[in-house]
Amino acid sequence: MNEIFAVIYGGLIVLGALATMVSRDPFNKLISLGLLVAGVMPFLSDRGLLDVLAATALIAPLSTIFVLMALGRDAREP
Amino acid sequence: MSPEFVIGLVIILIGTVASAFPRPKKYLVQLINLEIPAWGLLLVMLSYDEALALLTFGGVTALSTFIYVRVIQKKEAAA
Amino acid sequence: MNGQEAALLVCGVIAIYAAIRVILEKNTMRKLPFLNVVSFAISGSIVLITPHPLAILAAAAYFVGSTFESNAIASTWAGGPKNE
Repeated sequence: MNEIFAVIYGGLIVLGALATMVSRDPFNKLISLGLLVAGVMPFLSDRGLLDVLAATALIAPLSTIFVLMALGRDAREP
Repeated sequence: MSPEFVIGLVIILIGTVASAFPRPKKYLVQLINLEIPAWGLLLVMLSYDEALALLTFGGVTALSTFIYVRVIQKKEAAA
Repeated sequence: MNGQEAALLVCGVIAIYAAIRVILEKNTMRKLPFLNVVSFAISGSIVLITPHPLAILAAAAYFVGSTFESNAIASTWAGGPKNE
């Protein structure tokens, strides 16, 4: 991967991590975490580890749903 | 030095600070912040090209998230 | 820069633009369509980075997974299934 795409997808990862750290509502945190996961995937594809990519792409929403199970419906701030 | 390694170290640093000092001081917020350094560690491990290690780490991260969720639910039910 | 890199650059610019729109949006429900835009762009760039038949399967897995995640977040935010 040349430098331009490394900067673009790396910027996506750093942006997602900073947004996850800054936001206070748990739903906004989970959405920003999805942004971080989206930035990780092109680096996995660049190394050629496509089986790891498929496994990771199926495990990441599972982990989000586990957190949503604890969140419930009354955790939302209006 | 590959770009994955540098970005992974930056993400580990951000995630550790975010997980050590959660802003609304609740367990759930800390659990969500704990997933940031997990992805950073996955990026650092990616720069060494070990497919089996990456598969195992991804599975164990999801499993430990599930266990922490069960612990938090039990603690909130007891309180 | 050949055609494939130009397409990859378009996907990357779309992803960055939608990510900035996600972060600057205040309403939680309006963040989710932009998150879907990010995942469409990333699904395209997975296939464009690695031109291999298995990459299509991996991109389809990521596409299904991220759409499912957005759907679960929206469903929980809206109250979930009422079972009482």
